[in-house]
Amino acid sequence: MQQLDYLQELGINALWLMPFFPSPLRDDGYDISDYTAIHHHYGSLENFKTFLNAAHDRGIRIIIELVLNHTSDQHPWFKEARSSRENPKRDWYVWSETDTRYREASIIFLDTETSNWAWDPISKSYYWHRFFSHQPDLNYDNPAVFDAMWGVMKFWLDIGVDGFRLDAIPFLVERDGTRCENLPETHAIVREFRRRLDEAYSNKMLLAEANLWPADVSSYFGAGDEFHMAFHFPLMPRVFMAVQLEDRKPIIEIMEQTPHIPAACQWCIFLRNHDELTLATVTDMERDYMYDEYATDATMRLNLGIRRRLAPMMDNDRRRVQLLNVLLMSMPGTPIIYYGDEIGMGDNVYLRDRNGVRTPMQWNGGWNAGFSGADPERLYSPVISNPVYGYQAINVESQKRSPHSLLSWMKRLIEIRKSSRVFSRGSIEFLQPSNHRVLAYVRESGEEKILVVNNLSASSQAVELNLQRYKGTVPIEMAARNLFPRIGDLPYLMTMGPYQSFAFRLRRL
Amino acid sequence: MKDMIIRGLQQAYENMVHMMAEFLPRLVVMLIIGLVGLLIAFALKYLLRAILHLTRLDRLSEESGASRILRHAALPSITELLSRSLFWLTWLGFILVGISVLRIAGLQEQISHLFQLLPQVLIAILILFVGLLAGNFFSRAALLTAVNAGYRSPQLWSGSIRFVIWILAISMALEQIGLARQTVITAFSIVFGALMLALAIAFGLGGQELARQTLERYFGEKKNEREKEQEPSPL
Amino acid sequence: MAVISSAEDSFLADDFLRQLMGVGEVDLLVGIPSQNNATTISRAVEMIEKAFQQSFPRDRVVILNVDGGSRDFTSETFLSAMLSKNSNSRGLTSLRTIHRITTICSNAPSQGGAFRTMLAAADLLRAKACAVISPVASNLTPACISALLYPAARENFDYVAPLYRRHRFDGLLARHLLYPMSRAIFGKGIRELHSEEFGFSCRLGSHCLNQNGWRDEAVQFSPETWMALGAISSDFRCCQTFLGQKAHPVMSSGTDIVAAVRGNVAALFSCIESQQVVWMERTGSEPVPTIGSDHDLTSEPVRVNRKRMLEMFRSGVSGLTTILETILEPGTHAEIQRIAALDDRRVTFAAEIWVRTLYEFAAAYHHSVLNRDHLIQALVPLYRGRIYSFLLEHHDSSPEEIEADTESLCLEFEHQRPYLLERWKARE
Repeated sequence: MQQLDYLQELGINALWLMPFFPSPLRDDGYDISDYTAIHHHYGSLENFKTFLNAAHDRGIRIIIELVLNHTSDQHPWFKEARSSRENPKRDWYVWSETDTRYREASIIFLDTETSNWAWDPISKSYYWHRFFSHQPDLNYDNPAVFDAMWGVMKFWLDIGVDGFRLDAIPFLVERDGTRCENLPETHAIVREFRRRLDEAYSNKMLLAEANLWPADVSSYFGAGDEFHMAFHFPLMPRVFMAVQLEDRKPIIEIMEQTPHIPAACQWCIFLRNHDELTLATVTDMERDYMYDEYATDATMRLNLGIRRRLAPMMDNDRRRVQLLNVLLMSMPGTPIIYYGDEIGMGDNVYLRDRNGVRTPMQWNGGWNAGFSGADPERLYSPVISNPVYGYQAINVESQKRSPHSLLSWMKRLIEIRKSSRVFSRGSIEFLQPSNHRVLAYVRESGEEKILVVNNLSASSQAVELNLQRYKGTVPIEMAARNLFPRIGDLPYLMTMGPYQSFAFRLRRL
Repeated sequence: MKDMIIRGLQQAYENMVHMMAEFLPRLVVMLIIGLVGLLIAFALKYLLRAILHLTRLDRLSEESGASRILRHAALPSITELLSRSLFWLTWLGFILVGISVLRIAGLQEQISHLFQLLPQVLIAILILFVGLLAGNFFSRAALLTAVNAGYRSPQLWSGSIRFVIWILAISMALEQIGLARQTVITAFSIVFGALMLALAIAFGLGGQELARQTLERYFGEKKNEREKEQEPSPL
Repeated sequence: MAVISSAEDSFLADDFLRQLMGVGEVDLLVGIPSQNNATTISRAVEMIEKAFQQSFPRDRVVILNVDGGSRDFTSETFLSAMLSKNSNSRGLTSLRTIHRITTICSNAPSQGGAFRTMLAAADLLRAKACAVISPVASNLTPACISALLYPAARENFDYVAPLYRRHRFDGLLARHLLYPMSRAIFGKGIRELHSEEFGFSCRLGSHCLNQNGWRDEAVQFSPETWMALGAISSDFRCCQTFLGQKAHPVMSSGTDIVAAVRGNVAALFSCIESQQVVWMERTGSEPVPTIGSDHDLTSEPVRVNRKRMLEMFRSGVSGLTTILETILEPGTHAEIQRIAALDDRRVTFAAEIWVRTLYEFAAAYHHSVLNRDHLIQALVPLYRGRIYSFLLEHHDSSPEEIEADTESLCLEFEHQRPYLLERWKARE
């Protein structure tokens, strides 16, 4: 809570918290053993309420995780369910005598799991788990499960949280002969959650975590009656691809495939998050390329993804980090910044699973990087301490002191982002200059127009933009408000340095 | 009487001596001019020869076939020919200048006339020479084309082209020096026009079948016409 | 980096330079020269893009069309050709943008002008490997295009010549003149010196671009032969790659032969002339590496008009007597006249006399005994005679026998090489 001022200063207006529920922490809290409490490591429910109010006072909304699909095997519900086949909660999970059902469903955690069924020695039967074996899937064919989870949502909504990120949403329902993903029944469940939410509350938000192709994700918006927001997973690896290829094609292609969504809905876009950089929604050729360019060491690869942070993936090139953040802030959707990326934190690929990108936040160059006063050996994860990304070099405190640091730059970028609704609600039209190394687009909403031009390459580029539609307007650069030559009949020539970006407000004066 | 005769003879002698006294210096000047002109002509000849060697004119002349024509005409190489021509022209020029110094009545006018005619003569020679070369070149090109295309009587084609070009060149040369200008132009027009008319009539009336075959050979691509000409593809 | 001429006399249009600017540096460039090929160019583009996707998915690539002023909207068709998408890839095609750029070479519609434009573009874009593809080759597959690019792109070769499966009576100018003569003189045997499909490296491309002979007729008519000869006569690594069946008519018209001889033999003689310092020092020949299968001959029946060839041989020998006298030694000329006078079934233009004739022609070319284009044209009837003799002798020969004959001809060229040197220096 002490860092809420920092967040307010950064300029963000919502905070998404990873799971803080009681949990054996075998999956960083995504294995929940009590949905209506706070893990004692983080504090109490009262602490949370205080934190919530403080965030709201600073204009920061709080979105919490809610894992609907599965619980920890330490959850009382599962303990009851497995205790005997006649237990009332038996049917709260998905059981089978054999491990042959739902063969078409893929294994998500390929590196650790060999099957989606796990043997329960207590009840002598198999239980279904799409994720880790210690995370049994809940059975949404049982209305009691739905009611119980709605009860959980109500609990937190009544406390005052502003929204939920619903984890692993495509996997709620299983059916024979299907991949057990994105089934109509799942959508029906989501619609019911949404209906009840809208009925009882206002200004609350549901965010879907569905790692699918855009056309498939868009179904989770429904007709505006399912999720308010959904992550645009396929865009993210393509942003990295485009910068490495120095070619805008991957971005343009996926955006062209992104369907229109209901007016009251929104995409969530991001560069990195707590999981591996997923490569599930890329072609084999693209995946191989990403591995070869960004995960040369096999330890960096995990579950069809890359478990690295933004700065190391950009080889700590400040220009590339900035470029990607400009794309994040200017493309359609609500941008999400992963904690630490605003200061360029590094990762530790030698920690198991995805823990390499979940290291403690580096607040300052002191004890435990200012993360905690506990003994360093007691930290849930060691602090990054190498000379390049170590906390002594990369921390909030030192970057606050410099107006030229990445943190200061990010603050200014967020200000620019917030200065216009065009970025959040406007349309996007891609310009297609002959120079494929330049990604240029116009965001438009009503009379307001913003031109964003990005050089994706490591070398200087010249580009001629066809801006005839905006003839007569004056481009005003948004960072320093400098005037650029008026747009005329001829193609608008721009020369750009390596990885440089421009954002112009086009004003008719 | 005797005195008159002696006086007359004395007078004549004095006139003659006077004339000689006036003429001889001019003669000496003429000889000096001629000598200087000779030296200058030699210098120019060697200079031109050196320049033409540098520009490899002989090689060009070999290529164009001019050297062969010169050899057939028992003439030296083109470099030699041009440098010698320059020598003689230069020296002739100085000699004419020298003669004009003598101030012989009537001769001045003729010399002047000769000087005016000289450039035209040179141009006419040049036209003839170029015509000779062009006739040779194009007739050879026509011969090769006719042979390789399988035309009948390729020498006729070749010879005709050479004849036409030479006639043209001769006419132009004669016109250049102003010799019977009107006659030459008219004669050339008549001959050329008649030739074209004859060819048109011969081809149009007498060569209908040949014309048809020729056109079909060029524009009728497929089936039997092409099969008659098929050879293995070279590449 | 080649020196491209100054703005005042540049042969690259401003609009084209702008397109090149948009493309930037590339790894691979494939050029398609075209002239009224709207019906076939789409297929060529499709094959090239597939080759890129299958074999070079990560390379920066561009397809360049140099059009000679088509009237059937060939350039527009080229730009708008759609690539058929892989249904398994959710509509996503290649990893990178595949650029297509086009320019019109109307002020120099000859092949030389188009080729020079391609070399300039490759040089400006710093393409590591290039290939030239015919817009009408119906047998072209992505594998063929990859085969032309791969050696230069990955294996450090500078020139990649194609090898084909051909009819045994196809490509006889190459078999009887270009290949054996170039092999004997330059020491490297490229079978297809003249080809509409070939590959080359940027090093060779820049070298050719910097040459001064762009206005030569030999370069204008047959720039591919000129480049191939440049490669084998200098220190460039050459290889041959098998592309399958050669898709073109086995038979052609007489005008093709004249044009072929004028362009290709002129290129050969011109190269011999300009590279005399190089080849005079060489002896023997070395094999050129072959990638994939070796070339192949087929022997399906085909009609050949031998009679006409013989007639044209005889008429050429008699009609060009004065010209041939200037070129050939008296003994050689007399021998050719004797051959022309033989009975139809007995005409034999032996390898020995054929080789001697060609070497005397080459020497005469060197000494410019007459206009060089006329000299080359004078060779055409003699070539016909040689081919007539070959067809007569090998009418029923198997591909192996024909191949053996070619090898024997190559050896004869090598054997008489000292004679070429002797004639070369004779009139100096």
